[in-house]
Amino acid sequence: MKVLMLGWEFPPLINGGLGIACLGLGRAMAQQVELSFILPKVDPAFLVDQLELIGLNHLEDRTIDREKVEQSLADVANVKWVEGEVASRMLPYQLEEVERAQGHSETTFTTVEESKKSLAGEKVIDRLRAVGLDERLAMFRDDTLYGDDVGERVWAYAQVAASLAEDMDFDIVHAHDWMTFVAGMEIKKRTGKPLVLHVHSLNYDRGGPDARGWIYDIEKSAMEAADLVIPVSRYTGTICTGHYGIDASKVHFVHNGADPVKTYRSKSPFKHGLVLFLGRLTGQKGPRFFLEIAAKVLEKNPGVYFVMAGTGEKMRELIEYGAFKDVGDRLHFTGFLNKEKVNKLLSMTDVYCMPSVSEPFGLSAIEAAQYGIPAVISKQSGVAEVMTHARHADFWDVNMMAEHINELLTDPKAREEAIQYSLEDQKNCTWEAATERIIELYRDQLGIHN
Amino acid sequence: MMKGFLTRLSKVLASDSSEGSDKNAKAAKAAEETTQPPAVPDKVANTKKKKAPKEEKKVSKIQVDPSLQPICFFFEAHQPNRLKPYSFFDIGNDPFYEDDELNRKLLDEVCEVSYLPANKMMTELIKEGKGQFRISLSVSGVLLEQLELNRPDVLKSFQDLHATGGVEIVAETYYHSMGFHRSKEEFKEQVEKQLEKIKEVFGVRPKAFRHTACVYYNELAAFVESMGFESMLGEAVGWILHGREANRLYRSPNCTTLKAHLRNGILSDDVAFRFGNHAWPQHPLTAEKFATWCQTNGGEVVNLFMDYECIGKHQDKDTGIFEFFRAFPAAWEKLGGRFVTVSESAAELEVAGEYDCHEPTSWADTEKDLSPWKGNAMQEEARRKILIIEKQVKSKNNPELLHQWRKMQTAEHFYFMSTKGGESGKVHERLRPYPSAYEAYLYFMNALSDLQIRLDEE
Repeated sequence: MKVLMLGWEFPPLINGGLGIACLGLGRAMAQQVELSFILPKVDPAFLVDQLELIGLNHLEDRTIDREKVEQSLADVANVKWVEGEVASRMLPYQLEEVERAQGHSETTFTTVEESKKSLAGEKVIDRLRAVGLDERLAMFRDDTLYGDDVGERVWAYAQVAASLAEDMDFDIVHAHDWMTFVAGMEIKKRTGKPLVLHVHSLNYDRGGPDARGWIYDIEKSAMEAADLVIPVSRYTGTICTGHYGIDASKVHFVHNGADPVKTYRSKSPFKHGLVLFLGRLTGQKGPRFFLEIAAKVLEKNPGVYFVMAGTGEKMRELIEYGAFKDVGDRLHFTGFLNKEKVNKLLSMTDVYCMPSVSEPFGLSAIEAAQYGIPAVISKQSGVAEVMTHARHADFWDVNMMAEHINELLTDPKAREEAIQYSLEDQKNCTWEAATERIIELYRDQLGIHN
Repeated sequence: MMKGFLTRLSKVLASDSSEGSDKNAKAAKAAEETTQPPAVPDKVANTKKKKAPKEEKKVSKIQVDPSLQPICFFFEAHQPNRLKPYSFFDIGNDPFYEDDELNRKLLDEVCEVSYLPANKMMTELIKEGKGQFRISLSVSGVLLEQLELNRPDVLKSFQDLHATGGVEIVAETYYHSMGFHRSKEEFKEQVEKQLEKIKEVFGVRPKAFRHTACVYYNELAAFVESMGFESMLGEAVGWILHGREANRLYRSPNCTTLKAHLRNGILSDDVAFRFGNHAWPQHPLTAEKFATWCQTNGGEVVNLFMDYECIGKHQDKDTGIFEFFRAFPAAWEKLGGRFVTVSESAAELEVAGEYDCHEPTSWADTEKDLSPWKGNAMQEEARRKILIIEKQVKSKNNPELLHQWRKMQTAEHFYFMSTKGGESGKVHERLRPYPSAYEAYLYFMNALSDLQIRLDEE
């Protein structure tokens, strides 16, 4: 089976949650099917075993002749760019805005210094130029993938990806999130191949239930046009079927996986406990509820410390609100943290709290579990379906959240139990399991067998 | 007219203060002081006699206009101990909160562009004696400490300036703090610490007091009076003066002896803030022009109070600020004017009326109140939380911890947290060593958490 995936973020250039999930899934799926990924930007030095990565920022080096490329690089990966000085094109930038979202960075990839095998054949870029896509391609050389002109980028990506796809051989087109949904629809239209949409997050999660606009429209029309919709949780599935009115018979959730991480504990100066919020400081993540919860916990346990790791447009407002709630010497902000610092923080944390207003999945709760940290998470999160033994509460129920935290901090028996359960829970979250389930869905829903 | 404290025994004091930094010499010095204090006024009187004829000769060349109100220059020299970007991960691990490198850098900078050349200039002007030039000066304890540690040469130049006899040292809180509303006891201790420091460095006991940023209000004034001060500086605030002249001395209704010296905000800010501003219609401000403004300003004394850093730092040398000050005493003398220090004007003048100041006023921003340091939630919380641990800190009997806690009371920490906009906001932004008010708050609160944890563990 040959699968063409359409992605937007991808490590190491962009390390948001979407990129991490695409890499995790891509790496696992590439072991089972023949998999290619079209991305707006790739780092040519970043290779993944068995996974073909096609970046619109590096089509200059891409030739049409697929077979030859595959032969020449089969031992490394099915990657097609090349022709000299590839390494010098590497852009070691970090897109701060997105990277700050989670502070993840990937460590288990293969990096090659350069790959010098040259190939014969027509250049893809010349073909695309011939059909007038030159200025579209130029958009992907900028440092950002979002920003004010994200709409233009989405369209440019759709046009170029569709042109590329016409030359490619695949059975299924599988698009990740709205930025690539337009391309997915276009490819389905041009090639007639079945369209699978992978929903990592929706406008509903980012903008709230009343958010409308062209992004909502893209999501809705794409899900209507799709043959199979794969939300990352049952919870998000209910948004697809309920909020977007998508036919439930084609909506089938597949939980994300989580790569195992090396964990450690370090000494903490916070004797009465440290409670962690990790994520972007934006409405969807419920950071303000975290502040309320902190104030509640402090009423009972004034010695507890809280930390909000991450940054976002709500940061200043939250800082002032924390001061107003009089918790500024107990609730600290770290700003953006890199992965190393996030790990350090996890190693000190006693309770993980995720009061998200709407969280399609919530990988960080699993990472916390890997660190042996009991979690208190909102019912409005996908990860609550996986972490069945974690403490749950509605995101707005700060009293319940605070009670859970107080119990986990003051009752050693309850705490130990919670830790053991969450360690068990997280073991089931693997990308291999996700891959298996997706291949099953391809078979059962689309009739395409591996 | 001239009081004994105005002229100094330069030699005695210089040797005194050089010993001041030597802890071992303290005891010996103290003993010396207890046996010898009466000698000081006598000697002062002697030196005055030697100097006086010279001065009088000079002055006599120019007609002193007895109806012209004198000018009282007061300068405040202070540098805060700015905090480093103290992060969450430092809590419990790093007991040092200050950005030594930055503080050192800014200290060196202000010494080079302001303190050293300004001290030199003031020394010369006092020696020239045009209009019997003299100034009043306050140097915060935290600055004296920084100078002792890093720039003894500059400390010496302050001492030399003082030794000219034309400088009256004014008292304040050692830590340039603003905690009076929370703890009178702590306020008093900080003033006493500053008095000790001044004694050690300059060998005098000030009679005049000026609170941080010229904060003044009735309750504070009464307390300052109870501490034995004769004068206190404040801002001449229009809504309290009710149309009365700023250029007179006043008294708070709950004081019986303390005289309120009110800063002439317009004339002071002409020099302190507007001097180098090309957009100001009066730019450039010449010494002659400014002297005429002072001449026609009426009243009994023109109080020009400002940061010492205005000379060379806030107004850099390219603005011509040094030339202005160099020329001003002569220009003022030409009009028949003379200069006085704070306590000289207090001795000369009777109070002209009641100054009923219920709310704290200051010389800062356009609001002339405490709004630069309080008002937003971050400032309120930080101020309150640093002050409420007083008992706990003091119960530990740990001088280092006490000192560290007190340094966190320095007003600038809260000033940097201001989220004001407009003209005032621009000034805050210029002085702030962090990207925004929010960083100032976060670093402070992180450090405070560490301090609290250390207190609990101690």
